[in-house]
Amino acid sequence: MHSDPNVAKRQHWMGVLARAAQQLQPYADALKDAQYSHIRHPEIGMTLVRGRIGGTGEAFNLGEMSVTRCVVRLEDGRIGFSYVSGRDKQHAELAALADAHLQGSQQQHWLRELIEPLAAQQQAGKAAQAAETATTQVEFFTLVRGED
Amino acid sequence: MVQAHSSEWLQAAFSDPVLDAQLSFRTALKALAEPGLVQTMDRALELDSLQPATYALCLSFLDGDTPLWLAPRFDTPMIRANLAFHCGCPIVAEREMALFGLLDESELLDLSDFDNGSERYPDQSCTLLVQLSSLDNGPQLRWRGPGIKDVQAVELPVPAGFWAQRKARSNFPRGLDVFFAAGEHVMGLPRSTHVLHNNHEEAA
Repeated sequence: MHSDPNVAKRQHWMGVLARAAQQLQPYADALKDAQYSHIRHPEIGMTLVRGRIGGTGEAFNLGEMSVTRCVVRLEDGRIGFSYVSGRDKQHAELAALADAHLQGSQQQHWLRELIEPLAAQQQAGKAAQAAETATTQVEFFTLVRGED
Repeated sequence: MVQAHSSEWLQAAFSDPVLDAQLSFRTALKALAEPGLVQTMDRALELDSLQPATYALCLSFLDGDTPLWLAPRFDTPMIRANLAFHCGCPIVAEREMALFGLLDESELLDLSDFDNGSERYPDQSCTLLVQLSSLDNGPQLRWRGPGIKDVQAVELPVPAGFWAQRKARSNFPRGLDVFFAAGEHVMGLPRSTHVLHNNHEEAA
């Protein structure tokens, strides 16, 4: 996360919005309840995923993934950006709208109504998945697992 | 509150990015293929002091691989922000580094620093995009060369010094290709075109 708290906050909500996908649908009417125009219509493209995977930590080209991006502008000039994985243009547009709303005077409202519930849902989903996976863990009591 | 960034300057560009960029690019090719003929290029809106045709040329030519030199008149936060956003082109301060130059008529008297390519790669020369107030009502000249059947009469309102500068930078196959834009119209002037001045005609 960025050292500037404002930037870190925005990184957090953009991450939540990017992971939200279908979860954003129930908020579609509220998000679109504003005059807005597209600076960049939702468009699908590819991006290269790189990671420090090699033994010496150098970047490795893992592969390509599809990404959808969108930029909208609200009537008062606020601009919202989104980059989301996959090919869902609706998702990208809603995420960009949410980003624009979150930069305005209603920020607390949107954080409370949109980001916190979504983050909680995502957290719960992640925990459920981890719990489900944990049930398949096999304990080998006679073998050293390298933990000590 | 998140502070305002350069994003406050952003405007929409082409309404249909793919189709409009292809149409504009096709029109630009046609302008170079038929030097001296006025082509209509109206797919973009104006941006700050950039007129529609000039902006459409920028949007269809520029990308991350094309360093651009901006004339001081066009070097505004709004133009910089929108070119960075929609084209992603690096903006360079040295003319020698530029693959494209965005000029107004006051910059036409010194073209000496723009790259006119090499013998081996003449295609890597700098292409000049020149915004004029109009494409006619200048001194009458006649153009001759590839793409022109006989002679093409042209009345571009550019200073006489420009033609001398262009000639000084021409050494075929090296040279500068120029697009003149005004309003929603474009005219191409490739390096292969010979310009005949009425008083003292040059051998074509």
